[in-house]
Amino acid sequence: MKFSETHEWIDVKGTTGTVGVSEFAQKELGDIVYVELPQLGKTVKKGDPIAVLESTKAAADVYTPVSGTIIEVNHQLKEAPELINQHAENSGWLFTLQLSNPEELNALQDEQAYRDGLRS
Amino acid sequence: MALGAKMVPFAGWEMPVSYKSVVAEHQAVRNKAGIFDVSHMGRISIEGISASNVVDYLSTNTILGKGAGQATYTVWCNGEGGAIDDLIVYQESSEQFFIVANASNREKDYHHLKQYAQNCVVLPHYEEEGILAIQGPEAIELALPLFPELKQLKSMHFISTTFEGSPLYLAATGYTGEKGFEVYAPNAILPALWDRFLACGIVPVGLGARDTLRLEMGYALYGHELKEERPANESVAAWAIKLEKGDFLGKMALQELAKKGKTHFPAALLMQTEGIPREGYPVHSSGRRIGAITSGTFSPSLSKGIALALLDTSVPIGQNMEIEIREKYCPATVVKLPFWRKT
Repeated sequence: MKFSETHEWIDVKGTTGTVGVSEFAQKELGDIVYVELPQLGKTVKKGDPIAVLESTKAAADVYTPVSGTIIEVNHQLKEAPELINQHAENSGWLFTLQLSNPEELNALQDEQAYRDGLRS
Repeated sequence: MALGAKMVPFAGWEMPVSYKSVVAEHQAVRNKAGIFDVSHMGRISIEGISASNVVDYLSTNTILGKGAGQATYTVWCNGEGGAIDDLIVYQESSEQFFIVANASNREKDYHHLKQYAQNCVVLPHYEEEGILAIQGPEAIELALPLFPELKQLKSMHFISTTFEGSPLYLAATGYTGEKGFEVYAPNAILPALWDRFLACGIVPVGLGARDTLRLEMGYALYGHELKEERPANESVAAWAIKLEKGDFLGKMALQELAKKGKTHFPAALLMQTEGIPREGYPVHSSGRRIGAITSGTFSPSLSKGIALALLDTSVPIGQNMEIEIREKYCPATVVKLPFWRKT
């Protein structure tokens, strides 16, 4: 699992990656009450705001950590957005994409570096 | 992600948005009882022979004729009818009053009051005092062991009493639509009071739930529904403007506008689909932009988006319109306030 500076994680298997937000991000946002997910088949560029998490207080954009094509979204979040608060880094995942430029992964932090960065 | 923080700077204070969860804290206030530290608000007293006339002149709501121990919600306007603040006036006697002002306005209100009350003593108390709000259907009952006098306290009334020898006020006022009370007390005893209330089974509630609670009731929030540059009678607080009372600051301008016809109208909008309206989002009707959201949030009680809007046309209850959320037009219905009612 790799992390972006803007608190998204990506778990890559082959050339597909599953993306969510970090435990830290979910705590900062508070109760998530609504999730707007990207369209299936949409082509996205690294850094694009492609999903929105709404808490009681604010709306927060989620940026895709890599470029690619959206191949799956987590439909469970429509009914249960609180899954992100409960399990941000597994069943609270947001979308899966087909990577178009896997080299972009090199610019992301590994888990240790990301968590260390939060502490400093 | 674009992140906010849990502690937010609010009018110069570091305030907790939530202690645990906005939704859980909201439900605690709706179902049982919660406690807010609202010490950022400010108590200002005025004393003198002309105090009642001064306070009545500055208030859009009627103060003259109210009795000792009564509290009155009012807007204060400038000469143009714009809102200086919305606040509660507490009458201790015909010559003694105090107000509780909004955080960002308390300094302004103090100078405003002083300017009009030259023969009175006007004192700010917010440096040495703080405010706790205990709200919820069980708030009074749970706090009775600490303050048995709450049992006799009627809504929109207040009393002065003591806690371990320190003087304080208990006021049956609030900003949540629930039963409950507020405590105006010296800073020195606030931590002890806070702990004692928690020990009564009352849970801490942050600013996030304070906003969802007030918005479910359709209460105005200064800086959103009320502003200096907007006529106060074109807001959800218009009910507190009594044009039939004697002269008051701003009356002429507000009367003129009422006669000529208002140009802006507040409306309460309930989302029909998912999506959460936020301040500034445009409101459309029949393909025309007719206004914008002044306050919007997710209502934990209704599990739907709710919003107050300011529109350039008067719209009937039940009419459908659209709120533009991130370039999407989302259907919403004009509803009667409050959004939420106890069943």
